[in-house]
Amino acid sequence: MPTKRILCKYFKNGACFKGDACEFSHNWSDPESNVCMYYQSGNCAYGRFCRYEHVKLNRQEGISVGKALPVQTHINLVNREVASSSATPRQGACDVEASQDSRSYAAANIAWKEPSMFSLNAADEQENFPYLPADVGCSVDSASSSATNGAGAVMKYNDPSEEPICALAAAGRCTRGETCPYLHGDVCTMCGKECLHPHRPEEREEHKNQCERNQKRLEALRFSQDIECSICLDKVLSKPTNAERKFGLLSGCDHPFCVSCIRDWRRTSQPQGSGADTVVRCCPVCRVLSYYVVPSVIWYSTPEEKQEIIDGYKARVRDIDCKHFDFGNGKCQFGSSCFYKHAYRDGTTEEIRLRHLGAADGNTVIAKDVRLSDFLGRLHLRR
Amino acid sequence: MASRARLFKEYKEVQREKTADSDIQLICDENNIYRWTAHIKGPADTPYQEGVFQLSINVPEQYPLVPPQVRFVTKIFHPNVHFKTGEICLDILKTAWSPAWTLQSVCRAIIALMSHPEPDSPLNCDCGNLLRSGDHRGYRSMARMYTRLAAVPNILH
Repeated sequence: MPTKRILCKYFKNGACFKGDACEFSHNWSDPESNVCMYYQSGNCAYGRFCRYEHVKLNRQEGISVGKALPVQTHINLVNREVASSSATPRQGACDVEASQDSRSYAAANIAWKEPSMFSLNAADEQENFPYLPADVGCSVDSASSSATNGAGAVMKYNDPSEEPICALAAAGRCTRGETCPYLHGDVCTMCGKECLHPHRPEEREEHKNQCERNQKRLEALRFSQDIECSICLDKVLSKPTNAERKFGLLSGCDHPFCVSCIRDWRRTSQPQGSGADTVVRCCPVCRVLSYYVVPSVIWYSTPEEKQEIIDGYKARVRDIDCKHFDFGNGKCQFGSSCFYKHAYRDGTTEEIRLRHLGAADGNTVIAKDVRLSDFLGRLHLRR
Repeated sequence: MASRARLFKEYKEVQREKTADSDIQLICDENNIYRWTAHIKGPADTPYQEGVFQLSINVPEQYPLVPPQVRFVTKIFHPNVHFKTGEICLDILKTAWSPAWTLQSVCRAIIALMSHPEPDSPLNCDCGNLLRSGDHRGYRSMARMYTRLAAVPNILH
């Protein structure tokens, strides 16, 4: 679903800075997204009790069954929810009601059968899983009762890949163990959770990749703990405030610093006439020139990892409007090398045309932006 | 206060490595961590050997972003040290300072300067002129005399 047709959640709260350029809808009649973010990234701790929809956005319609509704149904539900809630003021309690409503509707609609032992009452549920909020417990109750009313027998799955695995086991703890009516996934060797669906190879692959990435990151983080900044001589990740616990990577060399230390050093002004600018832009340890500093939470061990961190930083920063460029009102001294976004208010990006000039000594130089008015401004006409 | 934290680190480091580097002895003022005194041994094969020179180190608040102010308290005849004030002409204490330097490494750099005088940017012109005119013998004997007079107190008494 194009994001332009989903209600912007910042706009809903009356504070979207992007205005017309926002990629989400600013039209009150459009539905808001009710998709669970945690489910997208692999695991939602609430499992099937989550109040948000467990839909894989990149998957095709009709693959997922159970709580993971087909996309089309999901849109209908959201529409229903908006319709029901637009009549009353949207406050917390009303939200819960609406989502409960959609949940029971979902359960009835696709004949999702709760086994009878699963119709636990809310209090029981709370005791077993203290991290579940109360309203979820209630909604389970209503959902399961309406499901029992809707369809009678235990649901049989034609395709084993359609059978959902126990989300509690996948999240790390299922207290029912052997007696659990749901399929328990295979144990992932890396995270140790029963979250590998035996019949969905692509999902297994995805989870393994995710686990591998997490593992790598943890490893790097552990390795970064002992690294000291050469300016304050402290361990970078042991600094008192969160903002200080970041490395400043230099593009030219591999010496570690705190991002705050190296930035402070590069900001200091040196005495005039001593090649001053280049001194502060060199690495304090090896004096190799670096043009920029990249902040990073983890330290790297290979050049590829460093490149990955730098690329990631540049990509993140490219979406932020340059404050010097100021939508075309200002002038950014970094020009075409600026990492930040140079876009005008109407969304068009700045076009940079470099003028190459042949200098007297035969070299080609890039002409700076020169305007006639720059000279006229300094001109004092004699009367 | 970043400078204080960093100086404490350096203090601990100095305490730990007291015995490792016998040429440099760094002492912190008991009441003020921004004031230090260093005793450095004159390097061997120079007119300054056998001498022990006292340095006074004044650390500014913005340290380590700005260099510490170091000067000789002991009189020394050296082209890059002012004969009267003890001021030192050394690039790393001025324009080429880097925050990765420590007080310990500054002292080491001063010892290196003593064995490699730089007569082309002199603070002591007489000494510089002796070296520039090629009178190495004259420079050595003057330097040795002042070392004996000022930096080796036990010999006379």
